[in-house]
Amino acid sequence: MGLLNAVVQGVLLGGLYALYAAGLSLMFGVMRIVNLAHGDLGVVAAYVALVLVTHTFLPVWAAVVVTVLLSAVAGYLLQRLLLQRSLSSGPLATLLVTFGLSVILQNVLQELFSADTRSLDTGTFATAAIHLGEISVSYLGLLGLGLALATIVGVQLYLSRTATGRMMRAASDDPEVATLVGADARHVYAVATSIALASVALAGMVFAMRSSFSPTIGSMSLIFAFEAVVIGGLGSLWGTLLGGLGLGLAQSIVGYYDPADSILAGHLLFLAVLALRPQGILAARGT
Amino acid sequence: MNDQLRGLDRRSVLKWAGLGAAAVGGSSLLSACGGLKGSSSSSSDTLKIGLVSPQTGPLASFASSDGFVVQTIQSALQGGITSGGKKRSIEIVVKDSQSSPTRATEVTKELINSDQVDLVVSSGTPDTSNPVADQCEASGMPNVTTIVPWEAWFFGRGGKPGKEFTYSTMFFLGMQEFADCFFPMWERMDVSSKNVAALWPDDTDANAFREGLGPMMEKAGYTVVDGGKYQDGTTDYSSQISKFKRSGAELFTCTPIPPDFQTYWRQAAQQGYRPTLATVAKVMLFPSEAEALGKLSNNIATDVWWSPSYPNESSIDGTTGQQLADDFASKTGKQWTQALGSVYSLFEVAVEVFKKVSDPKDKNEVAAALHNLDYTGMSGQLNFAGGPQPGIAIQKPCGGQWRPGKKFPWDIFIVDNHANPNMPLTGDLQPTFS
Repeated sequence: MGLLNAVVQGVLLGGLYALYAAGLSLMFGVMRIVNLAHGDLGVVAAYVALVLVTHTFLPVWAAVVVTVLLSAVAGYLLQRLLLQRSLSSGPLATLLVTFGLSVILQNVLQELFSADTRSLDTGTFATAAIHLGEISVSYLGLLGLGLALATIVGVQLYLSRTATGRMMRAASDDPEVATLVGADARHVYAVATSIALASVALAGMVFAMRSSFSPTIGSMSLIFAFEAVVIGGLGSLWGTLLGGLGLGLAQSIVGYYDPADSILAGHLLFLAVLALRPQGILAARGT
Repeated sequence: MNDQLRGLDRRSVLKWAGLGAAAVGGSSLLSACGGLKGSSSSSSDTLKIGLVSPQTGPLASFASSDGFVVQTIQSALQGGITSGGKKRSIEIVVKDSQSSPTRATEVTKELINSDQVDLVVSSGTPDTSNPVADQCEASGMPNVTTIVPWEAWFFGRGGKPGKEFTYSTMFFLGMQEFADCFFPMWERMDVSSKNVAALWPDDTDANAFREGLGPMMEKAGYTVVDGGKYQDGTTDYSSQISKFKRSGAELFTCTPIPPDFQTYWRQAAQQGYRPTLATVAKVMLFPSEAEALGKLSNNIATDVWWSPSYPNESSIDGTTGQQLADDFASKTGKQWTQALGSVYSLFEVAVEVFKKVSDPKDKNEVAAALHNLDYTGMSGQLNFAGGPQPGIAIQKPCGGQWRPGKKFPWDIFIVDNHANPNMPLTGDLQPTFS
């Protein structure tokens, strides 16, 4: 029974990891950008939502929607104004730019909000759960998993069914040829970053509801998100979902037997995938 | 016109550069003299105190009152103090450890070598106080630290009975004080078993509890239900929670890092683990944590080593704890934290010891006086000669519980004073979950 509970909790946790990782995976898949500020951008979203909840009359759900929209706009601008310029200088430049962005964001947040622990208070929702015998399925866990599934299915549909989505795949395969046939690579890239930031904003806010946040906590989630992307396979969104779930399950099942090895189990899974199947569980097509 | 201005600029720049060079040359000459004479450092009419604390980074909550304390002390000491038969002014140099032990060592070196301070004080978890104390011990610099369990400070730095520290001293609590604070509250609870659930991760602080408080609990007749040595930063606690539930433990204690406690406590509520009394250490020290946890903070108990309700007065100017907290609230708009009293006392200790010595520039004399200091001030009585090891003054905490406050959303109410009967109670002990 306890083991079954561990599996259920692992799936819920994995959903949150996948939600965190989806944006990272998309940005790598489309532009080959490893965004080291990914976790921090989620934390920024949590602070934005907190400010909206405390200083306006918006209820939490409305603040979440507004924050996602703001993040999407911020993502578009971030790509056009900052990342696009560094792209032409090679992968190392984008890595350094996002690293710098991470440092700046952490310090600006600390300057504005101090290092105090904050949380997005959702009242009884935060502790509510469906109880099935010994297993309890928390509403927040379900929310994280549901949003992860919705985000990944939504982005997949967008990539396969819409014109911009198809151009995104084309620009990902070969930006120059895509531009030749009429795609505006810069616009397409900015849309991808916009989606990535909206999804990490969701992840950051769900995390802020289930735990707490402070300016420097973003890097912790970056590690798990990065591992989920690599375990699932670089550039594959379905893979990222599987990677997140795998990571969550590894942590919670091993944690059931020995809490000391829970985090280690996730790292070992990551290393095992790198050593035995470096392309990940589901490799992106064509690479 | 423009050219002329630019010319002037260039000339004045050169002038300033020349002055700067002279100043740099002069100061290095001075420091060379200091090196030769050995004992004297900065100008003898001024005594310099260096403060190292984590003003930025994850530990910054511990330092949130530092700026206010430094200002308060500076204005209280405007007239200077009499030390070694002479009127001397006090200067405070503040350095940021950025919450990193490496950085803490670096800035301590700066304080000793470039700022030429006469004493170094430091606060805020072993990550700050231990490297600072080590550096001071190595450089022969008198040093006081606080907010670090003495076992972590003493054994964590390779101290052994018979191999004590000459220059570094500290005041705070140890495992015995946590036991004296928590056990009476557990005794007062109407619980059916003596099982105590313990959430202790695998880090320095929690291992000190596991190895120190654990055996004390067993000796007092409690059974420790150890949730296991999990890693800091764990995001899922279902295995610990189900273990606690199975054991039927109605008492709960823990020493996690603050964000992990927020995650754990919510998950425990989701999964229906509701201990009759939770007594926590290391977390719920700051009102911001209680606010972040919201309604779930209600009646969580913790150790309180400093509170404005304690009848303590500053040894510098007689300010009461309540006045200090009120002043802090009106100047910064923030609620008091326990660190406020501790950081204030760091400077009290420095002033007390400067007043006692015949030559405050003599590092060995100051260090020896620190080890023998026994005074009463903002943190009550601190006796550095009467602790478990030389140079350690022990504070006696009371048990406090978080509840909605009148002035602030969440406040600590003192509910148990078995460990320090002189402190007045401000509330009743209530079950965390009934």
